[in-house]
Amino acid sequence: MITRNKLVLGDKSLKDITDDICAPIEAYPSKGWLGLFTGALGLLIFYVIIMGTIISTGMGLLGVNHPNAWGTMIITFVFWIGIGHAGTLISAILFLFRQKWRTSVARTAEAMTVFAVMTAGLFPLLHTGRPWLDYWLFPYPNQRGPLWVNFRSPLLWDVFAVSTYATVSMVFWYVGLIPDFATIKDRAKNKLRRTIYGALSMGWRGTARNWSHYEMLYLLLAGLSTPLVLSVHTIVSFDFAVSSLPGWHTTIFPPYFVAGAIFSGFAMVVTLMTLVRIGVPEFKNYITIDHMEVMNKIIMATGLMVGYAYGSEFFIAWYSGNPYEKYVFFNSRAFGPYAWSYWTMISCNVLIPQLFWFKKFRRSIPVMFVVSIFVNIGMWFERFVITITSLHRDFLPANWGNYPWSFFDGAILVGSFGMFLTLFLLYLRFFPAISIAEVKPVLPVGRENSKGGH
Amino acid sequence: MSPATREQSSIELYNLSPLIEFVEGNMNHDHEHSEQELAAKKAARPQIERDNKHWLTLEHYNNDPEFMKLAETEFQSSPLREDDAEDGVARRDFLKLMGASLAMATAGCIRRPVQKIVPYNKQPEEVTLGIANLYTSTYFDGAEGLGLLVRTREGRPIKIDGNPQFPLNKGALSIRSQASILSLYDPERLQGPKNNLFNENRTNKDTVGIKWDNLDDKVVAQLKKGDAVVLTGNVASPSTRQIIADFSQGFKASHVTWEPLSYEDGREGQKASYGEAVEPQYRFDKAKVIVSIDADFLGAWMNPVAFSRQFSAGRKDPKTMSKLVSFDSTYSLTGGNADIRFKIKPSQQLDVVMGLLHEIVVKKGLSSYSGQATVKSALTSYGNSAQKLGVEPSLFAKVASDLWENKGASLVVAGGIQTATTRSLELQIAVNLLNSVLENEGKTVDGRNGNPGIKSSYADLVSLVKDMNAGKVKTLIIHRVNPIYALPTELGFLEALRKVELVIYTGDRIDETGNWAHLLAPDNHPLENWGDAEFAKDVYAIQQPTIRPMYDTRSFQLSLMTWAYLAKVGPSRIQSFETYYDYLRNFWKEEVQPKFAKGQSFEDFWGQVLQVGFVGDTDKNSSPRTFRTEALSLVKPASATEGYELVLYPKVQIGDGSMANISWLQEQPDPITKIVWDNYVMVSIGTAEKEGLKEGSVVELKVADKKVELPVHIQPGLHDQVLAVAVGYGRTLAGKVGNGIGQNMYPFVNLTKGVVFSGQAATFQKLKKKYKLVSVAGNNTMEGRMIVAEATQKDYLKNPGAGVHRHKMWSLWSGHQYNGHKWGMSVDLNTCTGCSACMTACQSENNIVVVGKKYIMQGREMSWIRIDRYYVGNPADALAVFQPVMCQHCDNAPCETVCPVLATVHSDEGLNEMVYNRCVGTRYCSNNCPYKVRRFNWFNYVKLIEKPLHMALNPDVTVRPRGVMEKCSFCVHKIKEGKNKAKLAGTKLKDGDIKTACQTACPTDAIIFGDLNDPESQVAKVFKSEPRSYALLEEWNAAPAVRYLSKIRNNDKETAGGGSHDHA
Repeated sequence: MITRNKLVLGDKSLKDITDDICAPIEAYPSKGWLGLFTGALGLLIFYVIIMGTIISTGMGLLGVNHPNAWGTMIITFVFWIGIGHAGTLISAILFLFRQKWRTSVARTAEAMTVFAVMTAGLFPLLHTGRPWLDYWLFPYPNQRGPLWVNFRSPLLWDVFAVSTYATVSMVFWYVGLIPDFATIKDRAKNKLRRTIYGALSMGWRGTARNWSHYEMLYLLLAGLSTPLVLSVHTIVSFDFAVSSLPGWHTTIFPPYFVAGAIFSGFAMVVTLMTLVRIGVPEFKNYITIDHMEVMNKIIMATGLMVGYAYGSEFFIAWYSGNPYEKYVFFNSRAFGPYAWSYWTMISCNVLIPQLFWFKKFRRSIPVMFVVSIFVNIGMWFERFVITITSLHRDFLPANWGNYPWSFFDGAILVGSFGMFLTLFLLYLRFFPAISIAEVKPVLPVGRENSKGGH
Repeated sequence: MSPATREQSSIELYNLSPLIEFVEGNMNHDHEHSEQELAAKKAARPQIERDNKHWLTLEHYNNDPEFMKLAETEFQSSPLREDDAEDGVARRDFLKLMGASLAMATAGCIRRPVQKIVPYNKQPEEVTLGIANLYTSTYFDGAEGLGLLVRTREGRPIKIDGNPQFPLNKGALSIRSQASILSLYDPERLQGPKNNLFNENRTNKDTVGIKWDNLDDKVVAQLKKGDAVVLTGNVASPSTRQIIADFSQGFKASHVTWEPLSYEDGREGQKASYGEAVEPQYRFDKAKVIVSIDADFLGAWMNPVAFSRQFSAGRKDPKTMSKLVSFDSTYSLTGGNADIRFKIKPSQQLDVVMGLLHEIVVKKGLSSYSGQATVKSALTSYGNSAQKLGVEPSLFAKVASDLWENKGASLVVAGGIQTATTRSLELQIAVNLLNSVLENEGKTVDGRNGNPGIKSSYADLVSLVKDMNAGKVKTLIIHRVNPIYALPTELGFLEALRKVELVIYTGDRIDETGNWAHLLAPDNHPLENWGDAEFAKDVYAIQQPTIRPMYDTRSFQLSLMTWAYLAKVGPSRIQSFETYYDYLRNFWKEEVQPKFAKGQSFEDFWGQVLQVGFVGDTDKNSSPRTFRTEALSLVKPASATEGYELVLYPKVQIGDGSMANISWLQEQPDPITKIVWDNYVMVSIGTAEKEGLKEGSVVELKVADKKVELPVHIQPGLHDQVLAVAVGYGRTLAGKVGNGIGQNMYPFVNLTKGVVFSGQAATFQKLKKKYKLVSVAGNNTMEGRMIVAEATQKDYLKNPGAGVHRHKMWSLWSGHQYNGHKWGMSVDLNTCTGCSACMTACQSENNIVVVGKKYIMQGREMSWIRIDRYYVGNPADALAVFQPVMCQHCDNAPCETVCPVLATVHSDEGLNEMVYNRCVGTRYCSNNCPYKVRRFNWFNYVKLIEKPLHMALNPDVTVRPRGVMEKCSFCVHKIKEGKNKAKLAGTKLKDGDIKTACQTACPTDAIIFGDLNDPESQVAKVFKSEPRSYALLEEWNAAPAVRYLSKIRNNDKETAGGGSHDHA
């Protein structure tokens, strides 16, 4: 009989689990955390200043131009939205498939999703020419006569897709947190703590009725989130695929984008988890090498899908006989002025994850950390390649023009990490990073280890 | 309140009036057909059952019909009730009443000044708020003369259009003439007379204001000492010429005429060949074969607008189109439009003409000159010209035979500073001989009716400098020229100027010359001044002021008159008239009227002239002059030189550089290189490879001991031994815009052996520097795509649709229905010369901002219409094609579907409309536009417009704030204006009633706009039946409302396979 490796190592008792997971919340923050948080907060402040400058001065500070009307903001938006896919996939889809290993990574992956979507959501709003009028993008009742939004525009679909996704994933995440908040409240030694966590736990008492409602709600939300995992990035891909621009106008975009999103999302989970394991060594018992290996397998599988999509785009470009499409792929992307970005993308997304064919690399923390970073870089470049190489040389050669990358482009890209990391570090400090309530049931308590049991 | 602010506040108000009219008009229209609808709607409403249990009044209880009727309308007191019309107070009446009461309330209020709201207390008779007034006027830049129709709104000129009846330009204009409106509103103009107080050695100065009276006293006192000289540019105004003559007579002064772009070699050649130094008129429309040797007659030589008009007239019909052969030592616009283009260097210009003569006269023994020994002997050494030029001898012979076969209907021209070499006189004599041999003299070359005002002479200037140095000039009055900037340093004009006791400059700013003048007596801007012009012999035109002088300036003419009056010298007319206007009228009464309208009263004649803008006609019969063969003794035998030769040339947009402070001109892409904001040295691809030069490498260009550092532009189709640089750059005191742009090349003019601009032996050295030249051309070739469809004339004769690659289109959707008008445009690529006048017209009409070099570099140009230039053929001999691209107003517009807020929508007249107010700036529309014609306001550019430049803004067109997309609107305000006019007049809109700005300015009638639903309109005919017409990216099925007509090249070649195929 094949025995599975244990999901939680170190022969933890139920109390150990609660103690371990609550420890970072209840102790005074470590120097490491403080250092990281200061850095991240500094970066966030920098980001706010940069964004403020762009809003007050104009989009012209970025490299966006004619013909590249979309640039770093949209690229980085798609990048962060993509990252936001792993969380929901792990917590919802894997939940529905009863994948028990998900329990110890789901919480953090979901937090990552929420923060990534928050980071991403700012970009399409701030990248408009007049961000103060962004509310016009929403179909709200107004007194401007029959002035309504254009339901034919993929950007509008995007507004719905992203806002729905942000709402549902946030609710899902919060619902999962409720029992744990109650645990922290119960353990709290001062009144303030008890009050705050008490409020957050919304009166959770751990009764059977509580649990019954909770389980049902969690299941329903998981069911609701599952199609969103597929739909959000499908609709994001429509921003490109529904237009008529060579290099954008392709039917492969929805599955390709979803695969890419899961790919990048898992890479980001691996990056963060390796860091969490370093930061809180005790968590190594919960987020084990086995967990990491499973995620690396998913990275490799989705990486192959993405690689397939890259190849298929080329095939279709050739097969369609469309000269503009052919030019985009065979001239602009692979050999044009931005060929370096294309080949960066291919190396990071297709070649480097091939290391995971080897079990040794799949289970090596340093290797997986480096690979996951490369995948993150590669996936940013994928969006860069899609956006810029398609726009910079389209139909009429007289319009061609390169993207004049400016300081502000780099600043918002780096700054967006400041926002994400600040939120993530605060989360590590104040929220239980592993679901206490979900980890406990996967312990082998009362099963094979129990002596002389039933 | 300053006049400027008052003007502005009133403008804002005026804007409302057409808007209100328009809204009203629409409402009327709505109302007519909505009445039945309304009745039907009311009938369909659910009947309200009222319960009688609770009642308010007895009528209510009794279900009184009167009451029921009242009760049906929910809001009984609302003025917005739809069916109120019959009661007399309709919705719009309510609005009117509200408006009126508001106005009354405001008028009654003391704290709001009435002036601010009611712009004209006493409204001038001719001004209707919101309606433009057009005044005829003229433009003259020293060489080119044009008839204008200046559009003014509420008393300020806002746009310069061409006078459609003016015989030279027939409504068309050039880039510079249209941009001259900005010089009126230039913030750096002098606002009154100034006095430069110099130190003893005139090395330092202090500029102080002075009153005109004091200035006049100083000048008159000085003038009385004698030895005065008036230095001016070419004077096209006959009355001004008379004033200068009167002034000179009075003060014993002399008059020197000089322009930096003098073109005097042509007149010298005329003198040597025919006896009189005249500027001939050319008839490009009558010529079947045109050979140009570096004469950029379509771009920057003499009268390019008139020439382009004539040239295109001869090429409208591809079956009978003329042939243009260009021998080009730069890449001129003329070369770019040539059917056959040969690259040469300046020292070969003479070989070309003499070689052609040799072919005709000696080899073939044709023409009456073949018997003359003097002619033959002069030609003997030019027998192998084709080989020397590196041209296939059979091709060269074909040019000669084409010319001869079309004798009397051919034309050979050479000229411009490109031909101002040491042998320019010989070249001109040879050209004259060739035209005489070809019997063109008196037919396509008219030596009797040219512009009599073109007298510019470097020789006179050189002797003036001598006189100044010798102390023979005590007073120098400089008008409309900038010698300190535009003369080579070694002439020593500045040193000579320091020896003149009093220098008076009439320029509009303290520029390079103004800096060294004692007194600055600023002239009025031409748009503020009366004047007249004689651009062709006995064709008199009037220049009307269109605005009162904005500042304390005084016309040059009145200055001369005042000084003569104060000194009491000169003929009585210069002393007796109080204003130049009176003098001018008197001149016209005495000199002009007798020639045209003897019996008429002068007032009638004058009124007519002001209305029409001119009298006389250029279309006159001429007669040939006899060529003096003895002139051939000046032509020396052939010689050959090796090594790099410098070619200087004026750019189409910058000209001589006098308008360098006009931002529109600096940002106007060069029609050929598409580079903005710079001059550069053009080298051939071969030279660049040989010398290891890249685009933007900096070289040090040397001619003898003169040096300049310039960036390199690698120009296809350039002769390997040519280094071509534009003049007109490197201004140091032009103003904020023009200062320090490019390098000044005038110092390279050599005045020791005649007037030598080009053909000087030059060398260069590559420096380890890079310079960023900014071009708006994304790519120079079409990458094998059918963008500009092109065929040869032979292809065309076999198949009129040659060169057009057609696709069979089909659609699931039946498309939009257009029941009223459906606007469309056609652009004839065969007549379009790429002159770019349309771009400036659009910029001026639609308030398009200038963004500067840095932002053009980042791809942020704002032009609504651009001219794409592509090269075709092998790069070393590349030919050019031009394609104006504006919003194509697609029926299946890709931009419309993707805008999330419906800021760009389709009108029921087929326009793709941009709603600036609604735009949030997602820029998705631009991404999805296959033509990339949309422009985004990356910054708040409009805020940066410096006062009073904002007065040049067209109040009919919204200025766009930051964050908003903009694009060509097909001049929708002009469409509205045309429709309103027709409606008021109660007539139907005729084809041609509405003309877009680009169409109006186009010298070649390449752009036609009209109603596609009117089967008789020109544009509908093009769309339906012109086989050359095609839509750009037709297969993309955006279904544009713009169609292009293929370009036809008359080059005796035939494309294999006829150059076209169709996709079934």
